[in-house]
Amino acid sequence: MSRLSPMRLILIAVLLAAAIALPFAFDPRGYAIRILCLALLFGAMAQAWNIVAGLANQVSLGHAAFFGIGAYTSTLLLIHFGISPWLGMIAGAVLGGLAALLISLPTMRLRGHYFALATLAFGEVMRVIANSWGGLTGGPVGISVPFAPSSLAMLQFKETRPYYWLMLAALIAVTAIFVAIRKSRLGYRLRAIKENVDAAEVIGIDTTRTKIIAAVLSGGLTACLGTLYAQFQYFFDPDTVFGVGSISVRVAMIAIVGGIGTAIGPILGAFFVIPLEEFANQIFSAQAAGLSQLVFGVLLVVVILVEPRGFVAMGQRLARRFRREDRS
Amino acid sequence: MTEALLQVSCISKRFGGLKALSDVSLTVNAGEIVGLIGPNGAGKTTLFSTLVGLHKPDSGTITLDGRELVGLKPHKIAAAGMIKTFQNVALFLDSSVLDNVLTGGLLRHSVEDARDLARRCLERVGISAISDKLARDLSFPERARVEVARALCTQPRVLLLDEAMAALNHVEMDEFMRLLRQLREEGLTLIVVEHHMRAIMSLCERLVVLNFGQLIATGTPAQVSHDPAVVQAYLGRSAA
Amino acid sequence: MAVVQAILDGLMIGGVYAVISIGLTLVFGVMGIVNFAQAEFLMLGMFVAYYAWAWLGLDPLLAAPLAFAVVFVLGAALQHLLIRRVLKAPEVAQIFLTVGLLIVMENAALLMFGSGFKSVSTPYQTASLQLGPLFVSVPYLAAFLMSVASGLVLWLFMKLSWFGKAMRATAQDPMAAKLLGINSDRMHMLAFALGVGLTAFGGAVILPYLTASPTVGGQFVVLMFTVVVLGGLGSVAGAVVGGFAVGIIQSLSGLAFPIQLQNLVLFVVFIGVLAFRPKGLLGAAR
Repeated sequence: MSRLSPMRLILIAVLLAAAIALPFAFDPRGYAIRILCLALLFGAMAQAWNIVAGLANQVSLGHAAFFGIGAYTSTLLLIHFGISPWLGMIAGAVLGGLAALLISLPTMRLRGHYFALATLAFGEVMRVIANSWGGLTGGPVGISVPFAPSSLAMLQFKETRPYYWLMLAALIAVTAIFVAIRKSRLGYRLRAIKENVDAAEVIGIDTTRTKIIAAVLSGGLTACLGTLYAQFQYFFDPDTVFGVGSISVRVAMIAIVGGIGTAIGPILGAFFVIPLEEFANQIFSAQAAGLSQLVFGVLLVVVILVEPRGFVAMGQRLARRFRREDRS
Repeated sequence: MTEALLQVSCISKRFGGLKALSDVSLTVNAGEIVGLIGPNGAGKTTLFSTLVGLHKPDSGTITLDGRELVGLKPHKIAAAGMIKTFQNVALFLDSSVLDNVLTGGLLRHSVEDARDLARRCLERVGISAISDKLARDLSFPERARVEVARALCTQPRVLLLDEAMAALNHVEMDEFMRLLRQLREEGLTLIVVEHHMRAIMSLCERLVVLNFGQLIATGTPAQVSHDPAVVQAYLGRSAA
Repeated sequence: MAVVQAILDGLMIGGVYAVISIGLTLVFGVMGIVNFAQAEFLMLGMFVAYYAWAWLGLDPLLAAPLAFAVVFVLGAALQHLLIRRVLKAPEVAQIFLTVGLLIVMENAALLMFGSGFKSVSTPYQTASLQLGPLFVSVPYLAAFLMSVASGLVLWLFMKLSWFGKAMRATAQDPMAAKLLGINSDRMHMLAFALGVGLTAFGGAVILPYLTASPTVGGQFVVLMFTVVVLGGLGSVAGAVVGGFAVGIIQSLSGLAFPIQLQNLVLFVVFIGVLAFRPKGLLGAAR
């Protein structure tokens, strides 16, 4: 499996070409292409979450902390100093990585529910700080990205298509990083930690350091995606980018629905959950707020009860059944 | 005069009110195979766990080749060259046998080199045939051997085996003892906890006996088996 | 004197925090599940009490047993239909089942009750008692006394009744409990129902001084977890101590910080306790 067969390479190339060409099938200023952009972005975020949660089984409920840091860092640098969001993204990644380090040092010994609780609280800490430190962040009313003429250098475009390609590149990059980590020493070590922490230590794995490295990578990448989100939306507030429901849980849910720990899972999850959510919003928003979120929650509960390893595992089960029928 | 490789002095460890180890001292020379025996609950596994840093002793020192190990984390002790296997076998159950062993090799090698080394370790332990199976799907004796292969793949200087032969049949056990002797020839130092007296008597040149957390005897198998304290410890148990 | 007053206020709200958090710790102690949706049952309790007041003219304090009963039944059903199925599943599944339940409950409430804030008016709403230089607000005192009473009832139930003893046995040693003929499934159902029922009871008694809304649970999630983690996850006595501690921390930090930052203090305490004393301040011996 480690070498890609020619068939798989061709398949990937075709998919990639189709993904690049896809925006030409849509109205460039339409609604559908914006949903695709969000699906790509959230797929990338779920993939970044997957590095810690999927490989090391450290389930974070606080990834909004890093996302928000990325969004605010680049936007504030742009507002106050006119610094290009590309540089802002790097600064955000550094801060996001530092934040991950800060929260990891005291909590990395925690596992399971305890780790989830600690990260949940950390995300909330960041949200409260962003809401109350109005002098820096603009507080609860939110913040706007200053207008600039369309250019790649300033990461701002009148059309939606360039954003689509950027988000696609981001998803591919984060997925490539995930796959590379999984095959690397770090990946083997993370898996060892996930499956038996004592045994991992005894055969020479520095489990604390390994988990921290993964957390910093994941936090830094998530912060980069926060910058992309800010540039895409032009406007955001603390409750959106630091939100438990809007970011932390949604990102985790996407990875879980698709298949936690797999490279394809977060992508499948994002392209299922995000359009479904938008679709539900479109249909129901007139009648009642909350219905689309309700659908969302029901979906999560159903997936957990039917197959907690998500679509990927469901697909594998189906494939196995077909093969068995072929033979008989 | 051979140099002492592992020097354990006056190690004590308490768990709540229970004194699991009291004042255990022990010297192991490079290239020795030492048998560690004693009735159930004597503290053999606790001693192993303390040696590799999973428990921190309340007092005492442990030096490997002159280097103090007390207070180091297990991974540092592994890097210094001392590894143990787990009595109830601790594999990475959702990984393949090869990946389990390979993970041990990462201590000193890149993934590619570790994979080659892992294949050699699997061959040495005689389980190349199952290298693609998931650890979860293995029988208990197979799992125990995978764990030994994984420990070897870290290229240790001292290997602590906690009942690695427990579920082997006679043929497998003879094969396994041949492997251990061969490893010893190559310079590995071994401390072996084992309940099979036949195996331990023929394998070890020196035995150390623990009872209720205390070291009660040390010497050649012949000496130890005639030691009144040892006889008392075992008979006392079986008579009870 | 401000400090003494703050401590007194802290004790009053702390009693309520203890009762709403006992449910959370009980569920963890008996089943090993951390219920992320626990605070939603507090919200439900508030709404049961609100509608009892609006439709039947019942005082929220008198409606509290009703809130307990309604949510008790709902809890038993949820345990049987959902929670039971993930008891042996990986922790990720356990975490996200209850997170999913949280999302469902919050949004179902939004659909049923609307997004507005709802509050009751009672004759004692603004009354307060004077004790020398100190003041005690009557609705806070009433909520406190109701909480203490329900806590005592629970304690007697756990201590004296066969169900209580069987539940504690299940928490301590599921195998042994099984051998004694205790049906662990039924014990889990009872524990979950009792746990969420108590939280709903707490929700009802605070309604005289708080407004109900579908998202009110969000304010209590981290608070409740702080209470139980301070006292040691799974320990009922710990939740009582943790409740008072959190109440006092909150009202003391109110002297120094604006209201938003009070929560921040709580979060920092929470992360600190998780990091350095994950078994709780009292949990050292366990």
